[in-house]
Amino acid sequence: MLSRVADSLYWMGRYIERAEHSSRVLAVRLESMIEQSKEDADRAWARVAAALSAEEFAGHSHDAFAITSALSFSRINPSSLVSSLRFARDNARQAREQLSTEVWEHLNRLYLRLQPVTVESVWVHQPARLFRDVLEDLYTLEGVIFTTLRHGEGWYFVELGRYTERAQLVSRLLAIHFGAQANPELVPPPKYVDWLVLLKYCTAFEPYCKEHTAAIRPERIAEFLLFDAEFPHSVKFAIDRMREALAHVAPGAPPQRRALCERLAGRLKAAVDFGQIDELIGGTIDAFLVEITRQCEEIHEAVYAAYIAYGAETVL
Amino acid sequence: MQHGAMAAAENEVRDARPGRDAPYKDYVLDRAYDEMFAADGQVRPHCAALHRRLSELSADELTRRQQACEQSFLHQGITFTVYSDNQATERIIPTDLLPRIVTAKEWARVEAGLKQRITALNLFLRDIYSDCRVLKDGIIPRSMIYGSKHYRREMRGIAVPHGAYVNVCGTDLVRREDGAFVVLEDNLRVPSGVSYMLANREVVRRAFPGVFRAAGVQAIEHYPQELLATLKSLAPYQEDVSIAVLTPGVFNSAYFEHAFLARQMGVELVEGRDLVVNDNAVYARTTSGLKRIDVIYRRVDDDFIDPLIFREDSALGVPGLFNAYRAGNVVIANALGTGVADDKAVYAYVPRLIRYYLSEEPIIDNVETFLCRESASLSHVLANLDSLVVKAVGESGGYGMLVGPHASHAEREAFAEKLKADPENYIAQPTIQLSTAPTFVDGAVEARHVDLRPFILCGEKTTIVPGGLTRVALRRGSLVVNSSQGGGSKDTWVLND
Repeated sequence: MLSRVADSLYWMGRYIERAEHSSRVLAVRLESMIEQSKEDADRAWARVAAALSAEEFAGHSHDAFAITSALSFSRINPSSLVSSLRFARDNARQAREQLSTEVWEHLNRLYLRLQPVTVESVWVHQPARLFRDVLEDLYTLEGVIFTTLRHGEGWYFVELGRYTERAQLVSRLLAIHFGAQANPELVPPPKYVDWLVLLKYCTAFEPYCKEHTAAIRPERIAEFLLFDAEFPHSVKFAIDRMREALAHVAPGAPPQRRALCERLAGRLKAAVDFGQIDELIGGTIDAFLVEITRQCEEIHEAVYAAYIAYGAETVL
Repeated sequence: MQHGAMAAAENEVRDARPGRDAPYKDYVLDRAYDEMFAADGQVRPHCAALHRRLSELSADELTRRQQACEQSFLHQGITFTVYSDNQATERIIPTDLLPRIVTAKEWARVEAGLKQRITALNLFLRDIYSDCRVLKDGIIPRSMIYGSKHYRREMRGIAVPHGAYVNVCGTDLVRREDGAFVVLEDNLRVPSGVSYMLANREVVRRAFPGVFRAAGVQAIEHYPQELLATLKSLAPYQEDVSIAVLTPGVFNSAYFEHAFLARQMGVELVEGRDLVVNDNAVYARTTSGLKRIDVIYRRVDDDFIDPLIFREDSALGVPGLFNAYRAGNVVIANALGTGVADDKAVYAYVPRLIRYYLSEEPIIDNVETFLCRESASLSHVLANLDSLVVKAVGESGGYGMLVGPHASHAEREAFAEKLKADPENYIAQPTIQLSTAPTFVDGAVEARHVDLRPFILCGEKTTIVPGGLTRVALRRGSLVVNSSQGGGSKDTWVLND
């Protein structure tokens, strides 16, 4: 597979994941604010803005409209929902001949549908509904990708992008909710609803309840979102998929070029395989989450150096 | 059953006539040849089924089908981008729902004529890049070849597989008032539009399934396979041939087509930055390492293909590509320097070239052409500017031309000055009333001018899929079909016998 095309597929995967995450967080946040006091809601919005790096684009306000606007239809915020979809589509277009018609058209239709939409038009009338609809479309897209693409190298690059992004997005949400040292003003008061909402941001509420009953306990939530081996939005699950994807990309590359990527992925996997929540909850969870994110970035760099942007002279 | 048959009989529509009955109320027949109606308003027999179906459908229903077809183009991403006010808007190239129908008999003649013409043009290209017999024999002036901006000195003495310089050709045909097809222009460089031909077929077949099935239309869907076979036949060996389509990238207006063809052929779509040349061999940078490329179907102009040889500011090309080509380690299709033969001045000589190389009479005529480089022609052109179309020799896409009858007095005066200053750069032709075909306009069916661009493939053998891209001038009375200037396209049906 062409390096440039692999790069586009990888970023398409990342941006689709980012769009999915943003629309879900927005939908859950908008739905849950009705039950909260103004003060609690403001704090929750501030956490969302921080988790999705949107403070600057929302003018550092804690206002629901400003933050929704920055995260959804802002063309200036490169991580907003519409920006993510635009970048996902741009990358899909670059890799068009490697994608199925179904994948391209599904993504293209979604992009075109959101083009004329503004936050003002959505805000007046059940804004959460729109984000739910987009979320449905993105879930469908994930299914279309799964079921119409050959599960070959290209598909694994999409997977690598998706799960690299997911591991970092979930880590970031956890860091904001548990990071007492870094963000004392954002630490949620031990209120039931905030923890419940954290689970819902990650579609984890029902799976968590099945595992731990509805007894909402912060350390069990952290454990579930970090270490559960079977839940698709846990950090461990994402890291396992990254490692699997790395084993399948660039099948013809010589072992010495694969070595670094595989070592880094193995090391990251060890961190979540052998991590213990009781050791972290005492105060080192911040550092642990920062380390996960750093290692994901390191893997990203290694993939680039080995498969995407290598110098032609190194392989001749 | 019985009841259904009776109802059908009651609903039977009598033949609607142009200029009188819906939906042909605004259909104007003038001196142009019309594809559906004879001069007396009678429907041509091969169009009868379509004609009837159109009068059965309500305007709303036709509009709905037209919208469904536009929607489908938009979703497929068959668009070009318009930049204005710092906003990039994507537009589809307008597609008309109503097919243009050509009989098997007409097509057989066109096909034979196109094969004859491309054979002569390929012989001509081989000649001017090797022995130059045609120049020594005085058939064509040397200055016209060596002075052409598309002549590539670098191609002298390079052997081209099967002598096929032009591997993909898009020839523009128009119908004269007497109904005969004539060649308006040969596009021998990087002709585009074939993806529209295939996409149009897809949507039109869906819009008129019944008429399509009943008509018996020759298939065109195998074009990508034919293209692949043509490209493969150019490779020096036939096992594991590695083929790539070279595109300028996503910002090119034909990017959809490049990606489409690569996907349909199952070959790599590459940009210049994906390729590296080492030791005169061409490689693509893949995740697993460098992969050798044997044949490049390039959709990048000559000028941009290799910054070491041609334009050094080109970021689209591949440094060293031309040397690899010269060394015979990669085939580039079309070959470089083919543009010298689709020059509008050389065009005038093509009938003579056919006689010279093949000792045959041309099957398809040229449009009568005046070469302004010849002084007698120049004075004729200057005296008759109001009835002629004057074209700059090296331009394409409808640029640099004057349509005499539609130009103002001042425009003609200004153009006359340009002509006198540089007569060699211009040719003139009578304004041809391109034929008209039924076109769906605002809920009704009206006559609009069309041309026809068939796509000819030349490798080991020459093949043409039946039909081609019919381009249509959507503005009433307009003769300019170029998509850059308000043109659209139509599906073209070549019927079985």
